[in-house]
Amino acid sequence: MSQKPLIVAIRKSFTCTKYFNIWQRCNFSSQRIPIQLSENQKKSVTSFPPLTESIPNLPKPIYSTAKEEHQVTKITVLPNGLKVASENRFGQFCTIGVLIDSGPRYEAAYPSGISHFLEKLAFGSTNTYDSKDKIMLALEKHGGICDCQASRDTFVYAASAERRGLDIITQVLGDIVLRPKITEEEVQIAKQTVQFELESLHTRPEQEPILMDMIHAAAYRNNTLGLPKICPQENIEKIDRKTLHIYLKHHYVPSRMVVAGVGVEHDDLVHAVNKYFVDQKPIWEEQADLILPNNRNTVDKSIAQYSAGCVMEECNVPIYAGPSGLPELSHVVIGLEGCSHQDPDFVAMCVLNMMMGGGGSFSAGGPGKGMYTRLYTNVLNRYHWLYSATAYNHAYADTGLFCIHASCTPSYVKDMVEVIIHEMVTMTSGVSDNELARAKKQLQSMLLMNLEQRPVVFEDIGRQVLATGSRKRPEYFMQAIDGISKDDIDRVARRLLKSPPCVAARGEVKTVPSITDIQNGLLDSQGRLPGSRSRLSLFR
Amino acid sequence: MATRLLKIGSALRIYTNKTSLVKIPKQWQSTAASLKETLINQPATRVTTLDSGMRVASEDSGAATATVGLWIDSGSRYETDDNNGVAHFMEHMAFKGTAKRSQTDLELEIENMGAHLNAYTSREQTVFYAKCLSQDVPKAIEILSDIIKNSKLGENEIERERGVILREMQEVETNLQEVVFDHLHAAAYQGTSLGRTILGPTKNIKSISRDDLQHYVKTHYGPSRFVLAGAGGVDHNQLIELANKHFGQMAGPDYDAIPEYVKACRYTGSEIRVRDDTIPLAHVAFAVEGAGWAEADNIPLMVANTLIGAWDRSQGGGVNNASNLAKTCAEDGLCHSYQSFNTCYKDTGLWGIYFVCDPMQCDDMISNIQHEWMKLCTSVTEKEVARAKNILKTNMFLQLDGTTAICEDIGRQILCYNRRIPLHELEMRIDSVTAQTIQNVGMKYIFDQCPVIAAVGPVENLPDYNYIRGAMYWLRV
Repeated sequence: MSQKPLIVAIRKSFTCTKYFNIWQRCNFSSQRIPIQLSENQKKSVTSFPPLTESIPNLPKPIYSTAKEEHQVTKITVLPNGLKVASENRFGQFCTIGVLIDSGPRYEAAYPSGISHFLEKLAFGSTNTYDSKDKIMLALEKHGGICDCQASRDTFVYAASAERRGLDIITQVLGDIVLRPKITEEEVQIAKQTVQFELESLHTRPEQEPILMDMIHAAAYRNNTLGLPKICPQENIEKIDRKTLHIYLKHHYVPSRMVVAGVGVEHDDLVHAVNKYFVDQKPIWEEQADLILPNNRNTVDKSIAQYSAGCVMEECNVPIYAGPSGLPELSHVVIGLEGCSHQDPDFVAMCVLNMMMGGGGSFSAGGPGKGMYTRLYTNVLNRYHWLYSATAYNHAYADTGLFCIHASCTPSYVKDMVEVIIHEMVTMTSGVSDNELARAKKQLQSMLLMNLEQRPVVFEDIGRQVLATGSRKRPEYFMQAIDGISKDDIDRVARRLLKSPPCVAARGEVKTVPSITDIQNGLLDSQGRLPGSRSRLSLFR
Repeated sequence: MATRLLKIGSALRIYTNKTSLVKIPKQWQSTAASLKETLINQPATRVTTLDSGMRVASEDSGAATATVGLWIDSGSRYETDDNNGVAHFMEHMAFKGTAKRSQTDLELEIENMGAHLNAYTSREQTVFYAKCLSQDVPKAIEILSDIIKNSKLGENEIERERGVILREMQEVETNLQEVVFDHLHAAAYQGTSLGRTILGPTKNIKSISRDDLQHYVKTHYGPSRFVLAGAGGVDHNQLIELANKHFGQMAGPDYDAIPEYVKACRYTGSEIRVRDDTIPLAHVAFAVEGAGWAEADNIPLMVANTLIGAWDRSQGGGVNNASNLAKTCAEDGLCHSYQSFNTCYKDTGLWGIYFVCDPMQCDDMISNIQHEWMKLCTSVTEKEVARAKNILKTNMFLQLDGTTAICEDIGRQILCYNRRIPLHELEMRIDSVTAQTIQNVGMKYIFDQCPVIAAVGPVENLPDYNYIRGAMYWLRV
C-alpha cells in the first residue's frame, strides 16, 4: 500500500469523470470535455511513460561518490601579470569568471556612472560575437548562463556552464572583457535601461541602494569609495563610447585582473586564458581610433580617506503598495570607520556584526534568521515603532565602514537615532558568553552554507586572489572565528567608537539630531544625546 | 474499484510503452553514450521506504553543511470551506513550542547551532526543513520530529498567531502577483478545493480552534504521507535510523482516507476581473488547463513554457531575447514585465502567462500573447525548440546548486513521482521533444481550449471573454 500511495491517489482522480456528466447536462460549454468523449485527447502526446515510471532500457548511470581531495586552490601568475586561480569540484557544471579591480571608486577623473553603464553593457557585441544574442546562443549550447555584477571596487563577469564548455566560456569572457565593441546602439539601449532603473529606484519603497550610496558619500566625502554607484541623472547623456573605452583601457589591464574557475582542470583553464586573454589583443590596442591619443586620464591610486560627514535628503519615500497599513518610513544610517579585509581585526569585526545582526520587524522566516541578535532583542522587540534595524560591515582593500541602518515612522526619527547610538555605545559592554558563542557559530555556519554554491566559491576565490594573490581556505576562517574572545570584541568595538560618525538620512528627516549631537552621544558612556528627554532613558 | 482501475491503467501504459520503443530508438542511442560519462560526476539519490510507510531519500555530497526536511503530502487542497486555512495555521503553530521545548528554547537551540528552521505550505504540500552543519543533522531531525509530533498548540499562542497570520494576509494582499494568482485559482477551480486560498478567509483565521488543528494533524500527518529528504553532508543509513527512531511509532492516516472532494478538482474556463483604477498598472494572468505532475506531457509543456519565456523592462537587450514575445515586448514596449508559468497539481495544472502592463496596453498584450500561442500550436520551428530545450535544461540543472535546492528537489519529486527522476532520464525526455511534439501538446492543451483569466487593476482595456476565447484558434491553419 505504502509503496505507491501517490500513484493510487492520482489514478483515483480519474473517477472524477462522473462529475462531468452533470455539468454536461447543464450545458456549460466552458467546462472540460468529459474524458469519455475525448478519447483521442486523453492520449499522451509523448510516447514516454508517465514521470512516475522510469523509461525502460536507459543506460545505467555510474554515480560519483563525494571526494574531499578536490579542495585545493591552484594559482598561476602569467608573465603579463594576469592571475589564474581555480579549484576542482564535483558536479556537471563549472563557473568561470573574471574579477577586475574596477568600479565606482576609480571614477574620480570620469563622469560618475561609468560602472553603472558598463554593468548594463556587459556581454554585448564583440569582434567575434556580433551581438549579445550570439553570446547567449554560444553559452546556451553548453547549458550556460552569464552575469555581471559591479560593487564599489570590483567588477565580476562570470558564466556557468557544463564542464565541456570551458573553452567557449573563456573565449566569451576574454572577448567581452577585452574586446567589447560598445556600439552607439548599445550605448543608447544602456541609457534607456539606466534611465528606467533610476525611475524604478525612486518609485520603490526599498531604499537600501540609495542609502548605501549616501552613507559612502558621507563617509568618504565624494571621493574614492564615496563616489556613487548609481549613475546620476545628469550624467546619463554625458557618457559616450569614447569615455567608456578610455576607462576600459586604463582599468581592464592584466595586472588588475583575476580569472577564476570552479569545477575546472587548472591546466585547461590556464591554456584557454593564454589563448583568449594574452594572445588576442584588447580592442583598444587594435583600433586606436576608439580612444583619444595621449589622454592623461590614468588610474586613481589614492587611498580612501574616512572622514565624518552627513548626507540628508528630505523627500517622500514611496510607501508599500496596497492595503499593507505600513506608513511612510524615514530611514537613517549611522556609520563608523571599520577596518579593511586585510586588517587583523577583520574577523572580530565580522563577529561583532553578526552579534548586532537585526533585520525587519515583519520579516518572514523561522528561527535561524538571527532572532537573538542585539538589534532584535534590544531594539526591534522593544520599540514597536521601529520597522527595521540592521547592522552592516563593509570591508574594502584599504578601509571599512561599519553601519547600522534603521527605519521608522517619521514622528519617531529622533528617538530612533538615540536608540541606535545607545546600541553602538553599549557594544563595548556586557558581551555574554552565550551571545559571543552564538555569533561565532552563526558566522561559521553562514560562511559554510554560502560556500555550498559554486558561484559563491568562485567569487570567494576570485576576490581573495585579487586582493592578496592567494586564497585562505574556509578552514582558516573557521579557526580564526573560533579564536575570537570577548576581549577582541571589546577592542574592536572601542576602535569603532573612536572614529567620528557619518550619517545618511532619507525621507522625512528634519528632526534627525545634528552630527555634533550624534558625535557627543557616541562619546557619552550611556549614549545619551545632549538635551535628550529623560522619558526614553526610563526604558533602558 | 480503485485498484482495478489502477491495473487497467498500468496495463495500458505498458502497452503504449512497447509501441514507443519501436518509435524512438534513434534519439535514444545517440544520447546514451555521452550520458554515461557526464553522470559520473554526480552523487546518487538513495530512496528507501520504511515499514511505517515513510519514505527516506537523500543525496550525500559530503559537504560540511546539510539540509534535511519533512515533505508532507498535505496542503490547502485537503481542506473544506469550514477549515480552509488550517494547514497554513498549523505550519505557523509548529514553531510555537512543544511538550518539552518552549518557543524560546526551540528558537535558542536552533540559533545556537547556527542552523535555520523554515516551513511553507502550498496547495498540495506542507514542508518543514532545517539547514545546519552536517554534524548537527541528528539534532535537526529530532527537532523536526518534535515540532510535528508534539506541538503544544497553546490557546494563548493560537490567539497570538491569528494576529500574525492576518498581518501576513495583509502583506500578501500588497503583492498583486499573489492576489492575481489566487483569483486565477478561484476561477479555474471554482467550486473545488483547489480554488481556495492557502491562507484561508479572515473568518476562518479568526475562528480556527485548537480542536480544528488537532483534528487536522490527526487526519493528515502520518508516516505514510511523510518524505524525509536530505542533501549535503548526510548519511542515508543514519537518516533511516533517525526516521525509524523519531517517526516509526507514529500512527497516521491511510491514503484511502483521502476524501472524495480532494480528488475531484475540475477545471473551468472562466474569468475574474477586479477593476481598480487607483492601481497604476494592470496585472493579468491568462492560462489554460495544463497537465498534472506525473503526466509525460509535462515535459513538452515545460519546453513550450520556455519558448514563451519571461521578460521585464530592466532587462537590457530584450531585443536579443530567445523568445519572440520578449522581442515584441522590448521593441514595442507592450508591457512592464511578463513571465510564463506551468503550475502543476496531482491531476491538473495551469499553463499560462502573467503580465503587468500600462492600462491601455492590455488589449495589445493579450493579442500578441495569443498570436505566439497559436504559433506554438501550428508553426513553431525546430530551431526555436532546440534553443528552448537548451534553456530549459540549463534552468533545471543549474538551479540544483546548494543543499537546500537539492533537498527541495528530492522532497518534491518523491511526493510527486514517488522516485527521483535520474538526471540522464530527464535530459533524455527533454531531448526527445521536437517541433512536432510542441505542436501536438499545443493542439491538445491550448488550441481551441477555454482559457481562464484573472485581472486586477485598471483593466478596462482588457477584451471581453468571448473575444479572447475567439482568438484561441486560427481558421487559417
